[in-house]
Amino acid sequence: MRPSLARVYRIKSFTLIFQHKPSFVAANHHQRTPIYFSSLSSSCPNLQIRKPQTPLFLRAASYSATLPDLKKWHQWATSLASSVGSTLVDLDNGPDSTLLLRELNWLIQDSFQDHHNSFIPQLPTTEFTRTRVDSQVVKLRVGLDELYRLWRQRVEERRPFQYIVGCEHWRDLVLSVEDGVLVPRPETELIVDLVSNVLLKESNRGLRDGLWADLGTGSGALAIAIGRLLGKHGRVIATDLSPVAVAVATFNVQRYALQDVVDVRQGSWFEPLKDLEGKLGGIISNPPYIPSNHISGLQAEVGRHEPRLALDGGFNGMDDLLHICNGAASFLKPAGFFAFETNGLEQCKFLVDYMDRNIKGSICNVSIVSDFAGIPRFVTGFRQ
Amino acid sequence: MASAMGKSLNLILLLKHPSTRIVVVPKNCKGYPVISFSNCCSSFSRRLHQQNQQLQQLLFGSKYSTTASAGGSASRDSNSSTSYYKKHLEMGDEELMRQCEMDTFKASGPGGQHRNKRESAVRLKHLPTGIIAQAVEDRSQHMNRASALLRLRTLLALRVRNSVDLESYSPPKELLQILPPKSTLRGSDCGPQIGPNNSKFVLGMQALLDLIFAVEGSVSQAAKLLGLSTGALSRLLLSHDSLRMAVNDLRASKGMKPLK
Repeated sequence: MRPSLARVYRIKSFTLIFQHKPSFVAANHHQRTPIYFSSLSSSCPNLQIRKPQTPLFLRAASYSATLPDLKKWHQWATSLASSVGSTLVDLDNGPDSTLLLRELNWLIQDSFQDHHNSFIPQLPTTEFTRTRVDSQVVKLRVGLDELYRLWRQRVEERRPFQYIVGCEHWRDLVLSVEDGVLVPRPETELIVDLVSNVLLKESNRGLRDGLWADLGTGSGALAIAIGRLLGKHGRVIATDLSPVAVAVATFNVQRYALQDVVDVRQGSWFEPLKDLEGKLGGIISNPPYIPSNHISGLQAEVGRHEPRLALDGGFNGMDDLLHICNGAASFLKPAGFFAFETNGLEQCKFLVDYMDRNIKGSICNVSIVSDFAGIPRFVTGFRQ
Repeated sequence: MASAMGKSLNLILLLKHPSTRIVVVPKNCKGYPVISFSNCCSSFSRRLHQQNQQLQQLLFGSKYSTTASAGGSASRDSNSSTSYYKKHLEMGDEELMRQCEMDTFKASGPGGQHRNKRESAVRLKHLPTGIIAQAVEDRSQHMNRASALLRLRTLLALRVRNSVDLESYSPPKELLQILPPKSTLRGSDCGPQIGPNNSKFVLGMQALLDLIFAVEGSVSQAAKLLGLSTGALSRLLLSHDSLRMAVNDLRASKGMKPLK
């Protein structure tokens, strides 16, 4: 609940680094990532051994509050959310009141202990029932003060809801997330379906027991979902540069009891896979792809709070996508599959053109796949 | 929250099945009945939902703004093509999904990493019938898709009627399977009675409604054709909220008393 000193220090050091990044990016474009990594690990070594936060819904219900106090909090939180109206939508495409109110319910869902039997609807009018309700105590996973603080952070500081509750529901998974780790997006859920379709084909049977890589795994979402699709001998290596992401992904992998299937390794893109050239059955990635000059205009939840490392794809957003694309040609084994998420049509076309010009001989069946909103989002294909 | 919807539409709240909350609204602007469901799908997050769903409902009013509405004309005059419409429910999820247009309510904009809005709502439009099912209550898009699909199946069963030949009626197997064991027509090959939580229940429910519509809402006549007592069939009809409401809507339209 209360952040430890060490944790406060960590967050500060992160912010500091991120603030320095823009000039850094401009100066060291082609080798941005490795340098960034070394600067990170040297400036705050305790990041290496950090312990991930426990999501709200997994914490013990060691707090309590009375029903009237909770109702008061709820009224306050509701009116705070309602006061937003559509101002944030107009400002930076942020959340509107409807969405905030839905999130408020999810916050309640995560922070109240299962207790509905002892709750009584808002009908007590007689003195007898009123006393009964007033004296009722509700078990909570956070203190009432913290509930006030968290909701203020959500609405006033625009802290992403997922960082407030420490988790994100993604496909059929509930993944732990925290500051410093990109919140997995609904669009990315589709990559799992793309992989699933590939694995279902009889001709691709071998990939089910193959070695897969999720590059820039973040919370571990893709690695975990794909780890659960693979056969008995299938394995996923999940890499990430950020020590926070590595810690969180490891936590999530353990929570789904996939330690034997998903191996989380710290390092930039293919670096932790050096011995595996030509051996991967599949590569998936949702690398940073937002063009650097779009970062400042992002919705506050994203631009102000989510890790720039996971968002900024350099000048045209293609730096990491191109790097991964080149790597895929050498790391995939023949008939290996790849799927990458992009910023949209422009990047998809760019990537397909790039492959056509530079690695044509090694890649085949390249296609562009749209997300559920109809935006061309993914580039998929096979190693020849 | 759905409070605006609730106020304007005069909700009748029925809390009967623990996992299913159904809100019936008399008519929408086009004159078609609109049903709103809240029915989570089975999963890890279902448990999370159930934990607090009822609590929040009771404490803070309606939690979900989920609607599933039936529209379009196809579902109204489907009697001519019996086998065709029956097939929808027999389809697997993937196959049924292919008949649907999926819409995620996303506003314009680049989406992806640009956006952190938890907009995981899903709306499915079943193109052959025009029936729309949607789900917003779950926190992941994947789960909302599963909920919407489940809801679509229920709506197909409720809204799409197949003609029944009463002269030579014999209940189809999927209907026999949802009947209580005391039915005289139920052979031992039917297995145990299938309840509302089984995904096969909707198939039986569709066949049962086909029969009830064919006998114009007469429970006693339908009971005879199913080898059941009127009481036993009534109990079955009352055991499932949307089934009961479909039957009572029909009975109301024929000037008959509702089943209670």
